[in-house]
Amino acid sequence: MKVTIDGKKIEAKLGETILEAAVRAGVEIPNLCYIEAFGGQGVCRMCMVEVKDGEQKRLVASCTYPITGEIEVQTNTPELQEIRRNIITLLYRRAPNSDFMKKLYQEYVCPAVEVVDPAEKCIMCRLCVKACEKVGAFAISTIMRGTEKRVATPFDEASPSCIGCGACAEICPTGAITVKEENGKQEIWHKSFEMSRCEICGNYYSTLPVKEHVKEQLDNEVSGENLCPSCRRKKLAGDLAKFSIK
Amino acid sequence: MAVNSEQTADRKAMGKIINRYPPERRYILAIMQDLQKQFNYLPKDALQMTAEYVNTPMSVVYSMATFYKAFSLVPKGRVVLKTCDGTACHIKGSNIIIDEIYKTLGIRPGETTADGDFSLETVNCLGACALAPVLVANDRVYPKVTPASLREIIEENRGRRDESTERE
Ligand code: SF4
Ligand code: FES
Repeated sequence: MKVTIDGKKIEAKLGETILEAAVRAGVEIPNLCYIEAFGGQGVCRMCMVEVKDGEQKRLVASCTYPITGEIEVQTNTPELQEIRRNIITLLYRRAPNSDFMKKLYQEYVCPAVEVVDPAEKCIMCRLCVKACEKVGAFAISTIMRGTEKRVATPFDEASPSCIGCGACAEICPTGAITVKEENGKQEIWHKSFEMSRCEICGNYYSTLPVKEHVKEQLDNEVSGENLCPSCRRKKLAGDLAKFSIK
Repeated sequence: MAVNSEQTADRKAMGKIINRYPPERRYILAIMQDLQKQFNYLPKDALQMTAEYVNTPMSVVYSMATFYKAFSLVPKGRVVLKTCDGTACHIKGSNIIIDEIYKTLGIRPGETTADGDFSLETVNCLGACALAPVLVANDRVYPKVTPASLREIIEENRGRRDESTERE
């Protein structure tokens, strides 16, 4: 089915979101809580676009809006720019303490604001929670609501289901999640983990429970070797070289 | 000893409440409402038991438990006083009532008396502006509260439990 995005005519699949179609067409829509592998969350509202369906015009979140007909989409009207500026201003007011937000705040030429907590980094995009879910740990979630909302483990205590993988910290756009690494231990979310050393280079590369978790997920079909990603890659390249075509 | 047997009794009561529902995720809220009624808060054990029972991660249950104002993670008083601090009640002097409660019971909004008799909360509108300032003690509504009537209300409610929980 044909949709128009910023004047570009493109072919879209039924049920595909506007954002997905736009990405394919090479149209960039700003977003803060979207990652292709996770799908749209509809949390940040930065991805708002204007949809014209016949005579009707309305604003929708493009990361969750499924295409079901021949619509016309505008991604960058003055109205939308204003909405995005407002979102960035408010987020900056809440969580100014990251280069990520500082940069956006300038880019969007936001008005001066009095920040709530100069040390705060989290913009509540929920990507960390989603990552934790995808890993299968479900150790963190958003708790409380309104201005008190934040990401936490239950009771702000070490969670039995946390495996210390650090996927949450890895995915966080603002560096809001602290991971402490020290003497072969990794500390995250009130919990300390023994690290596993690479057999070849001797570097610490993962926590012990993560190793177990990966083994479980792969039905124990991994080699028993303890290799960090880069040594594993090197070793694999060496193994493959043996198969070179004569 | 005493603490232990009390704990076992509590866990039994929790189990009884939880088992009233089918072990499905969609009953989490209903279970938590019943737990809140019974214990005046959601004990940690109870949340853990609920999560296990409906086979849902603790983080999800905890997220719900902290989201709704109707739930409390610390013990609430047997009688929850809700003073309206909406526009009409505010103008009609709800702050005087709140002050007066502090003078008599020593609690501010969000707090509970040491004997566990009373908690105080403020709400933003009870939809009874004509009766401002309004006070609700559990399910009893008191209109046009004055400092003098407040003392009577407190005496009347001391040691009372929410009637609706006294069904078993
Ligand atoms: S901690 Fe990071 S990833 Fe998680 S919600 Fe906050 S900003 Fe997003
Ligand atoms: S990207 Fe659509 S709401 Fe965040």
